[in-house]
Amino acid sequence: MDKYISILKIGFQQELAYKLQFIIGRLRNIIQILVFFFLWSSIFQTQDSVFGYTISSIGAYTFLLIIIRSIVMSTKVNDVSGFVSSGELSNYLLKPINFFKYIIIKDIPVKLLNIGFSAVELTLLFIILKPNIYIQSDATQLLFFILSIIIASFIFFCILMLSNSFPFWVPEAGWGAQFLIVAIFVEFLSGAFFPIDVFPTTIQNFLKLTPFPYIVFIPIKTYLGNMTIYNNLQNMAIGLIWCFILFLLLKKIWWKGLKVYEGVGR
Amino acid sequence: MDKAIIVDHLSKDFFVSEGKKSISDAIINLFKKENKKRVKALKEISFTIQSGEIVGFIGPNGAGKTTTMKILSGLLYPNSGFVSVLDYDPFLKSKEFLKEISVVFGQKNQLWWDLPVINSFEFNKAIYEINDKDYEKSLNELVSLLGVSELLNTQVRKLSLGQRMKMELIASLLHRPKVLFLDEPTLGLDLTAQQNLRDFIYEYNKKYNATILLTSHNMNDLVDLCRRVIIIDGGQIIFDGPFDEIVKKYATEKNIKITLSEEVKISEIEEITKVKKYNYPNLTLSVPRSTVAYVAAELLQKLSITDLNIEETPIEDIIRTIFKGEK
Repeated sequence: MDKYISILKIGFQQELAYKLQFIIGRLRNIIQILVFFFLWSSIFQTQDSVFGYTISSIGAYTFLLIIIRSIVMSTKVNDVSGFVSSGELSNYLLKPINFFKYIIIKDIPVKLLNIGFSAVELTLLFIILKPNIYIQSDATQLLFFILSIIIASFIFFCILMLSNSFPFWVPEAGWGAQFLIVAIFVEFLSGAFFPIDVFPTTIQNFLKLTPFPYIVFIPIKTYLGNMTIYNNLQNMAIGLIWCFILFLLLKKIWWKGLKVYEGVGR
Repeated sequence: MDKAIIVDHLSKDFFVSEGKKSISDAIINLFKKENKKRVKALKEISFTIQSGEIVGFIGPNGAGKTTTMKILSGLLYPNSGFVSVLDYDPFLKSKEFLKEISVVFGQKNQLWWDLPVINSFEFNKAIYEINDKDYEKSLNELVSLLGVSELLNTQVRKLSLGQRMKMELIASLLHRPKVLFLDEPTLGLDLTAQQNLRDFIYEYNKKYNATILLTSHNMNDLVDLCRRVIIIDGGQIIFDGPFDEIVKKYATEKNIKITLSEEVKISEIEEITKVKKYNYPNLTLSVPRSTVAYVAAELLQKLSITDLNIEETPIEDIIRTIFKGEK
């Protein structure tokens, strides 16, 4: 247990050592959210409702986006590709601790700090934008919401780790692979740019079979609560299946990667 | 005694992409699969090390020393051959195995760059599950030995290279490993610290019966510590035996370095012994071991000398001699 507490401690200390980097990260987050909000606000200037969303439900979506981004997408996994191509990974491989566990635990302080800051930002945005926020009070829905966030975090972790594994084979490809997978697929198809229900039903149904909506869209929908228990259970089941598949894939890829790892520069 | 390390017909290849010659080549490489050259870093090497042995591992740069150490510590996956360290397969990286070993690479940086050093030590204490008593004891011992007690609360990034190297060592030894892989451990240390470290490694080996594999370009490290030496070149072992044998066999001469205060003719010096290099006022002589004292005395008598040093033939020179003999 001491092991994990000390990882948490070092994680906090490191985050606090890089104060400016942290603040810049938050700033980027806020700008992404503002872009999202103003884009939608401009659409609502000409019409009252688009794809079943009104200005107030989009406001709620935006606020949930801030919370979910700070929980699910605040992570240090992006450093891993650098570890692999620079050989810094060797330091971790020589320690008697599972590298995945290490990375996951080290993300907890990152997530906690981001949640703390997002709470402050939310308050400020609330004062400025004064949106209509739907407060979910149903315990079952909240339970599903928490579960969906855990699933989302794990799916995002696996996808990010997979895209960070490229440098095992192509040391200089770290950034490109990440950009392609995260910026294009994840951001676009997860609901971080627009709610998935703007797509035609067939595409929506297809997307729901991929892991991407389970990162942002499904948790938000779960919070908003306009779903039956059956729908919720179905979402959780598909999400869990993806957790399972992605983790197995990640383990396999990582094992293959370690076999070709050269530990350069050390 | 049982065997701590077994290496049998171990081979490792790397693939190196041939350097991109021009921009057009680089563009072509985007579409075509690049030709990668197979480099044989290790060619079926075999050796065993008994537990409690200190073995020096030497060879020129790129000979395969570090590659071997990386395989033994589980970082690299061998192409073929058998490796066992304390009966573990290193590549599986079991926790039990990793707690028993330690690796010190000259340029490795396992310390947290932005935090005070002590945080890194405490982190290792937790990760290696060292109990409070042992931790205190090891830490105090190491810190006083390397003379860094006043630096424990300094940020790692503010340490000098030598200071950081000492801290790396402390971090690597806190958990009292049974097998130690030391790759250039004295690199960047001042002379006192080098000596302290050697004494420490010696003591550590005696006290815990630790097995130590050591690479160094520092002759003193090898002379003081290693009874046995393995020489590796081009991925192959070309010598494996007692250190005495290599020094006796190959380092038959010592160097005498002299600074002259008056210029003399080279022929005058050559009457006394063989001249290796002469560039007034610096003079280097190569003298058989047995006659060093005698020759030195004679030189001091006959020449006006401001400075005289007797030195071991550098390990690189010895290795070079061996390589010449082999080829």
